[in-house]
Amino acid sequence: MFFHIVLERNMQLHPRHFGPHLRDKLVAKLMRDVEGTCSGRHGFVVAITGVEDIGKGLIREGTGFVTFPVKYQCVVFRPFKGEILEAVVTMVNKMGFFAEAGPVQIFVSNHLIPDDMEFQSGDMPNYTTSDGSVKIQRDSEVRLKIIGTRVDATEIFCIGTIKDDFLGVINDPGAAA
Amino acid sequence: MNHEATNPFKRLVKLAARAFYDDISTKGDNQPKTGRSDNRGLVVVVLDALTRRQWAREEDLAKELKLHSKQLRRTLRFLEEEKMVSRDHRKETAKGAKMYNAAIAATTDGQQNGKEHEEKIKLHTHSYCCLDYAQIYDVVRYRIHRLRKKIKDELEDKNTVQEYICPNCGKRYNALDALRLVSMDDEDFHCESCNAALVAESDKLAAQDIGDGDDNARRRRREKLKDMLQKMEIQLKPLTEQLNRVKDLPVPEYRGLQAWEAQASASARATHDDANGSDSFKSAQGQGFGGTPMPYFGETKVEVSIYGLEPKEEDAKSNNASTPMKVLPPWMIKQGMVLTSEQRGEVKQEMKMEGSSTKTEILDDKKSSDEYLKAYYAAVYKMQQERAVQSQQESSNAENVNNGDSSTSNRVVGMKSKRQDDDGDDDVDWEEVPTAGNATENFKVNDLNVQAAASDIDEDDVDWEEG
Ligand SMILES: [Zn+2]
Repeated sequence: MFFHIVLERNMQLHPRHFGPHLRDKLVAKLMRDVEGTCSGRHGFVVAITGVEDIGKGLIREGTGFVTFPVKYQCVVFRPFKGEILEAVVTMVNKMGFFAEAGPVQIFVSNHLIPDDMEFQSGDMPNYTTSDGSVKIQRDSEVRLKIIGTRVDATEIFCIGTIKDDFLGVINDPGAAA
Repeated sequence: MNHEATNPFKRLVKLAARAFYDDISTKGDNQPKTGRSDNRGLVVVVLDALTRRQWAREEDLAKELKLHSKQLRRTLRFLEEEKMVSRDHRKETAKGAKMYNAAIAATTDGQQNGKEHEEKIKLHTHSYCCLDYAQIYDVVRYRIHRLRKKIKDELEDKNTVQEYICPNCGKRYNALDALRLVSMDDEDFHCESCNAALVAESDKLAAQDIGDGDDNARRRRREKLKDMLQKMEIQLKPLTEQLNRVKDLPVPEYRGLQAWEAQASASARATHDDANGSDSFKSAQGQGFGGTPMPYFGETKVEVSIYGLEPKEEDAKSNNASTPMKVLPPWMIKQGMVLTSEQRGEVKQEMKMEGSSTKTEILDDKKSSDEYLKAYYAAVYKMQQERAVQSQQESSNAENVNNGDSSTSNRVVGMKSKRQDDDGDDDVDWEEVPTAGNATENFKVNDLNVQAAASDIDEDDVDWEEG
């Protein structure tokens, strides 16, 4: 699920950046530092959409670095248990398959793949129905439901299922997000 | 009419109370769990009591149930969280208390008790509570759905996290560790400590020595689950049957406290004017238990069947010379004169038509009055229209009123309800008065694993800090 939230961060800026473009430098550094990171609490920071407030800088003793408290708006992506996501399969093995939905990795174990799909090993390992009409392999797009998340301080990993109504391979490529 | 409409819902509440709240105890966290403070079953008592009321003031309810108001409040807060009860709190002036008392008098026995009345005029916050039948219906269905789904999902291994065992060192992993376990060399998961290929826990072929015992446990567990599902279906059968019965019935609605009060008092005034009403007032006074006013106790309610809404009643009325109801035109004229000035003033102010109540008729039966309120308002509108018609008729034919709109086909039914009214009130009223707790019938649903149910509901709560 996506959220638009306001976060705060203390930015340390080297004295060489002090000058007329200090603010721009600060924002550029903020984007470099924050976008693409993941915190267990807020999820993945997808993009910074605006800087709300830059507080007064404080010179750190001994180094000359200045710390600015920065308030910024950003879009975060945070997967939840029970959420339905569309994802791209990245790896298939006999234990199940891995998929990615943006920055999130999801593992679907084989007992959460419908029973009529069999694992086929080979160059291109895949899960296929007996009549061959449905096939899950690398780069397939699937719709899955998250049934569990593992949230560490800097990492979120999910396990999912495609063993439910309307889940599984998305046949129509146009429907894939 | 509303008797049938409300009662299945009351029964539903009683069944649900016994199925889900029988062994729930609402305790303060700081209270020690001694035998004395064990209040399991209290929730059931409160729910039962509420089925016999509409909007109830909490302090009155506490008094009547002989509970400490704190204890009752805790229970009600719990029920509010469970979405069984809606509550309303307001800072009350004397006027507000009056409003409520008037409303309660209107919905119980049609008269107010002065002493009780004065006691209540105080200036602090009062809380009111009322069963929310529409929501209860949904909540109970949802709860049963979740119970069933949880067990079924577990049976089918849905939503369970796959576990993996190292056949070499016995270390256990689960699917959430998958990212760490996958190796680039082959398609297996590998043990972090000894690098052996892991096996899925249910895969008994590979992990014989470790897996076997587990597999037995798994099978036993499945059997247990199946058993549990079956038991649940049997035990919840009365409840599910009641849900089906209630499905297409109109839900009794008491709306907000304010709206309820306004309607209840408005209709009370209307019934005061009723010529027939005085009879039922007398009989209703018997309820008071020698000066102890019991507003809302028992199921004794007032119902007004209204001309126009139910032609059969009107028909019986107009054709039956022995009842106080007479042929309309002379009676209407008489009514206009008989009305005391305050009554007329009240009624005029209330609905701008003093004659309206001439067609109301009290059935002092054990009926709840919500439907009656609805019907009343619908009928007021209808009557206004019909009065217009009647006045036209009057001008041409002063004696005959009922020619057009009241059919004679339902006459017997109308008569019957009249007779019921006559002999039904006293004994029924007295019968219904006893204490809140034991008016319950034996709806007892066998014990149910309520713990599982409760945890199930918030299982899906998103938790930012999880893991
Ligand atoms: Zn190992």
